[in-house]
Amino acid sequence: MKKRVKGIVWGITLVILVLYPWLFGIYFTNVLVTCAIFALFAVSYNLLLGYTGLFSFGHAMFFGAGGYATALALTHIEGCPLLVALLFGFLGAVVLALLLSPIVARLAHSAFAMLHLAFSMLLYTLALKLRGITGGEDGIGGFPIPPFHIPGIVSVDMTDPLHFYYFAMAVLGGSLWIAWFLTKTPFGQIIVSVRDNAKRVDYLGFKVPHTKAIIYALSCGFAGIAGSIYAMFQDLISASALGIAQSFAPIVMTMVGGVIAFSGPIWGAAIFALIEELTTRYTERVQLVEGLILIIVILFFPGGFVHLLAVVKGKWLEFVRGKWLGSIKGKWFGKQS
Amino acid sequence: MDATTAMYVAQGIHGLAYGMVLFLVASGLTLIFGMMGILNVAHTAFFMLAAYFCYQVVAWTGNFWLGLLVAPIATAVVGVLVERFLLRRIHALGLLFELTLTIGVMFGIMEAVKVFWGTENLPLAVPTLLEGLVNIGGMEYPLYRLFIIGLSLAVLVFLAFILYKTRLGMVVRAAVADADMVNALGINVPRLFMFVFGVGTWMAGLAGVAIAPILTVFPGLADQMGMDAFIVVIVGGFGSLGGALLVALISGLLSSYGVQFVSQLAPVLMFIFMAIVLAIKPTGLFGEREG
Repeated sequence: MKKRVKGIVWGITLVILVLYPWLFGIYFTNVLVTCAIFALFAVSYNLLLGYTGLFSFGHAMFFGAGGYATALALTHIEGCPLLVALLFGFLGAVVLALLLSPIVARLAHSAFAMLHLAFSMLLYTLALKLRGITGGEDGIGGFPIPPFHIPGIVSVDMTDPLHFYYFAMAVLGGSLWIAWFLTKTPFGQIIVSVRDNAKRVDYLGFKVPHTKAIIYALSCGFAGIAGSIYAMFQDLISASALGIAQSFAPIVMTMVGGVIAFSGPIWGAAIFALIEELTTRYTERVQLVEGLILIIVILFFPGGFVHLLAVVKGKWLEFVRGKWLGSIKGKWFGKQS
Repeated sequence: MDATTAMYVAQGIHGLAYGMVLFLVASGLTLIFGMMGILNVAHTAFFMLAAYFCYQVVAWTGNFWLGLLVAPIATAVVGVLVERFLLRRIHALGLLFELTLTIGVMFGIMEAVKVFWGTENLPLAVPTLLEGLVNIGGMEYPLYRLFIIGLSLAVLVFLAFILYKTRLGMVVRAAVADADMVNALGINVPRLFMFVFGVGTWMAGLAGVAIAPILTVFPGLADQMGMDAFIVVIVGGFGSLGGALLVALISGLLSSYGVQFVSQLAPVLMFIFMAIVLAIKPTGLFGEREG
């Protein structure tokens, strides 16, 4: 019964997503693509924060690395196919992650967070200074977006926003599904155990630094895919994609959506897209609203929107405040005592 | 003194002045971190808020000295309120929630400032008493920067006196080492947290007011200072005041000489320094525990 309800809900969601451009028009289609990009970005972040307990202040550098890798590939490689450009984005972020992982895998908590901040600021400054490669403040833009081409079968023009919508949603949705599937595998269980008690995982015979490095590289790869799609979607990538504001976005989205569930960051991205849509009409101070919402959420619903959902759904008994607090207390770099 | 030496000395004093202001910001941050275990992301927002408070006081009364006195205290009051009514409520949930809460506070303050004062650069005049140049060994140097060094030194000495020579300081140092144990010994640690948070934001506020006449008051003030202050705390070692002082001075000199010698690379010098130190010693130079 429950499985059937779930199937129906997913079916309806899929139908809505397919019909979305006709229902809401091209402007809101673009809003949805941006929202989905940030949803994948935030989910990739939550693989580190929520699942592995690693707090980073510089996740934007992987987003930016993916974007720049794709943009550079499309600018400099003649006739670079669409999927190869996407692969470049993924690999760009993964390679960066693998380069950093020997240093960062040994660190924990604030040092981990701040070293990421340092590296992302380093890349940000380099992106501004190395004008010959990155175009400085202007970034790289105006590169050709190749058609989605499978020889002999199909060739779809990607400059059409409608076609790009389906392509982007397929890639982002697929990535989200892979990330979700990853958390359900035995490996997904191990990373959660690393968060809860790294020492015991070590005693059980798993290699904690290796585990951390793998999930780190995967998470960064997903961020790279998000950045890659972003670069193709905007036909532009600039240094702001590496900036500190871009690094704070997934943190805030994850916290507001809910760090305790896989779907949390997706809700967070949706909520922030909605807030931006609603508030930009009345005020320029969108961040003030976002900051206040973040404070309120943490004070009253530390589990974020999914916490609120669970309460509304009537799961009172499971989520009685005391018991529930006990279940999240100290899990995210809390005191190990 | 010939022109070249004079230039080097001038750059050196520039660096020292910046380093001392950096220390004022970073020492509050490192105290709060050492004690409560949270990286207060909003710290530099308080720094900026104080500059705006000072601007407002000067706009009302025309007296910079009053601003120097009142603005940091007003900032400290805001800080204490944030600690008492926001941070304390979620202390039990663990560090992640406290840290993200301070991100929210930072967004709130930085945007609220734009609502009240706009986004323009607001000039703040150097008080007439400190205007002009002084002659150091045949070299002209702005008096105000020397005043900043003096003011920071005074705060540093005062802080060191409180921390190392009084009972209160002893309790604070003990709480930095092990807050739970101090609590068990019958000292009201939550109140101590509030006090330290207040002192920390007061020092950030003082630094903000001190630097405002040089940099003018604008919403980007926090970004400019913030990154450097965080780096100082991390490289110096979480909770270590001596480390913060040393690294703040290194950072100041590195930025002033860096601009002179390798101007292209100057903005990234500190990040490289930090990456090297953390790669070798994850706890920072003088840190004993991982943050």
